[in-house]
Amino acid sequence: MRLETRKLLDRAFSGTGVIAIGVMALALVVILAPIIGKGTGAFVFRSTIEHRKVMFDQWGRGTPERVEADKAPAAAARQPVYDMLAAFAAELDEMPRADRRPYKTPVRDLEKALEELFGPAPGQRTPVLIRQQYGATRWDRTKIKLGELLFTEQWDYSNPDALGVLVKTPRSEQFKETSLEPLFDYVDENIEAIMRPRLTFYWQFLFDTSKDSHIFGGIGPEVLGTLYLTLGAMIFAIPMGVIAAIYLCEYAREGRVVSFLRICISTLAGVPSIVFGLFGLAFFLNTIHISDSKSVLAGSLTLSLLILPTVIRASEEAILAVPKAYKEAALSLGAGRWHTVLTVILPAALPGILTGVVISMGRAAGETAPIIFTAAVSVGRPLLPMQTLSQPTPALPWNIYNLCTEHEAVDEIRHVQYGMVFTLVALVLLLNVFAIVMRARISKKLRG
Amino acid sequence: MLENSSTIQKRSLVMSKSTSRWRQLWAALGQGFLFSVTSLSTLTVFFIFYFIAKDAFPFFKLEGFKEFFTSTHWYPSGHPAEFGAMSIFFGTGLVTLGAVVVAVPLGVAAAVCLSDVLPFNVRQIVKPVIEILAAIPSVAYGFFALVVFAPLLQNNGGAVLSIGAWLILAPILALLVVVLSDLIADRCPDAARKVVRWGCGLALGAAALTGMILLGNHLRGIEIISGANALNVSIILGIMALPTVVSVSEDALQACGRELREGSYALGATRAETIVKTVLPASVSGILAAVILGVMRAIGETMVVWMASGNAARIPEPWFNMLQPVRTLTATIAGDMGEADHVTGSARFHVLFAMAFCLLTFSFVMNLASEAIVRRSRKKLGK
Repeated sequence: MRLETRKLLDRAFSGTGVIAIGVMALALVVILAPIIGKGTGAFVFRSTIEHRKVMFDQWGRGTPERVEADKAPAAAARQPVYDMLAAFAAELDEMPRADRRPYKTPVRDLEKALEELFGPAPGQRTPVLIRQQYGATRWDRTKIKLGELLFTEQWDYSNPDALGVLVKTPRSEQFKETSLEPLFDYVDENIEAIMRPRLTFYWQFLFDTSKDSHIFGGIGPEVLGTLYLTLGAMIFAIPMGVIAAIYLCEYAREGRVVSFLRICISTLAGVPSIVFGLFGLAFFLNTIHISDSKSVLAGSLTLSLLILPTVIRASEEAILAVPKAYKEAALSLGAGRWHTVLTVILPAALPGILTGVVISMGRAAGETAPIIFTAAVSVGRPLLPMQTLSQPTPALPWNIYNLCTEHEAVDEIRHVQYGMVFTLVALVLLLNVFAIVMRARISKKLRG
Repeated sequence: MLENSSTIQKRSLVMSKSTSRWRQLWAALGQGFLFSVTSLSTLTVFFIFYFIAKDAFPFFKLEGFKEFFTSTHWYPSGHPAEFGAMSIFFGTGLVTLGAVVVAVPLGVAAAVCLSDVLPFNVRQIVKPVIEILAAIPSVAYGFFALVVFAPLLQNNGGAVLSIGAWLILAPILALLVVVLSDLIADRCPDAARKVVRWGCGLALGAAALTGMILLGNHLRGIEIISGANALNVSIILGIMALPTVVSVSEDALQACGRELREGSYALGATRAETIVKTVLPASVSGILAAVILGVMRAIGETMVVWMASGNAARIPEPWFNMLQPVRTLTATIAGDMGEADHVTGSARFHVLFAMAFCLLTFSFVMNLASEAIVRRSRKKLGK
């Protein structure tokens, strides 16, 4: 082979490696960008007057005077719409029955579309479901709902060889040359006056309970549930893991028993997470009946088993990283083995152990499969600490799954889903960044 | 006075027999305590095996083995219920294979780059990227796959596929063309060499380009019915398995010492030749272990496949068609338990444990294999 070709191959080889790393970084960016970009949209967004109404009615935020002052211009801007509807209803009454019929369905559809945008019309009986009591609360949803009001959508399946095509026709065509025709232009032009969008920082999203299964409100119970589960898992996993690591590093003599224990640990690390979930169901709930139903306790125990190998390994590494000289100095001063471990080795290894613990905390917070059968429910109240022993809780990972696959209004609450994913990812990333920074400091210290 | 204090010190330094016995007893007790906690936490794995198996065997007793492993009819709620899990096993295999195809080349290339190419400073920046990739919760990956990636595939499937093919194949083909034409030119007499090289390069390049364009156009014409399919899941699972593959194979590459590399450089090999011909063969077992761990990660993953694989329990037509929905073991367990839970004791409940038992056994065997491989390679390298 020519020398040039060999050089080219060499360069191409290095290039492949760099590209591979670039692809990895790109994957990270591509995955995180929508989550962060749209996730912040759950916290900071342009809220409409409807959002402020929800906040006032359901959570008592804001003063009545200001909300009224906010509501009045919006109501005034909406009045012409309702006037037009009333005028058209009167017009219909005067028509002969045959002319009236073709307008029946379009009018009903129009009223429905208006209701989704504005909420119930003034004077109408208050609907039972909270979600029907208010219109579009967010400006981005408002624009979508406005589109649904202005245009009707139909799927065109006339070409049998291709997938259906979406056809949009202006709704105003249905009401040509009636008193309703100007309604659409009016709403389109005055939508800002009608909805009064305003930039809002809805930080209470993190703490609010949700109303009407996540249509309104925040993710408070989920965040709290995730914290309970994670902390619970750590309570069980840290002592077990650290003790096991101390034993394996400081006491055990390498031999059959220890290598057997190590194989067990690595097998435990390789068990699929869903199997942990089934085990939790079969053992904690169905065999020893730790609680009557799913509970935070059972979920925490299951999660703690899942992260146990990680904690053991991290602690082992941290203990092994403590310089031999420390231990030898302590022993030469006459300290016993216990004494050495407790007063010299553990304090020196503590930052390293903490790093591992923090990383496994992130893992425990994000795991879904183990808590499906042991701890998670879709809707629930925030629990008191004592209730965690016997009651299930909503949790971020499970509710992310639940909201984006099983919720009846998946598209309506995209922002809640993104907000949840963002919160979870931010929590896990913060924990990891903390660990990374801490580890960098430790390695600097050990290098001297 | 002075004498007195010194005798006291002497007395406390030299322990009486009873104290030392107490101390020994305490030490033994403490060690026993440590040992029992350690073994308790490690023996959990047997608990897991026992309790999964305990609920799995009633299924095999009720329904036997044959249908479960050979039939593709999965209607656990039918009358009579059918428990043919063949297509589910197949879906698991297909998705895992796809993930391996994504993760292994990328992961090994990245590991080589990390261990041999990049300078130390850059490595310190890249490592956290890998860690964060590993830390993102699986449900967030699943959410991405379902909410972002699946609609993209469904609406612009053809374009995505053809761009992907171009990005992957074009550099490889270009390199291949250059090397091939060079190899051919080497066999020609000196005078004609340059002409042959250029001629060959142009001809091969044109052939490759036409091939690429044809392939690209073919892919562009494909319409993907559902974005929740095996391809989507494979790519995401591949990305999830990447950190494992990278870090384990990087360890393996680092483990095979400077001596080998320096020997190879001394013989005049380039870096690529050193790595491909010396380092990779020496660390092949470690890389195999990395692949196995990546496979385990992909097989055991639940949320991504549950959310974005389409959950259709049938074998795609033809079998390698990644654009059709599939169903995996983990997704079946997660999805069906909700319905089967209140019929505890039925075959429908136990079949899920049977699946979990298969998963568990598989991951156990794989784990033992990777441990054995790593241990053998360490012995071979003399460490």
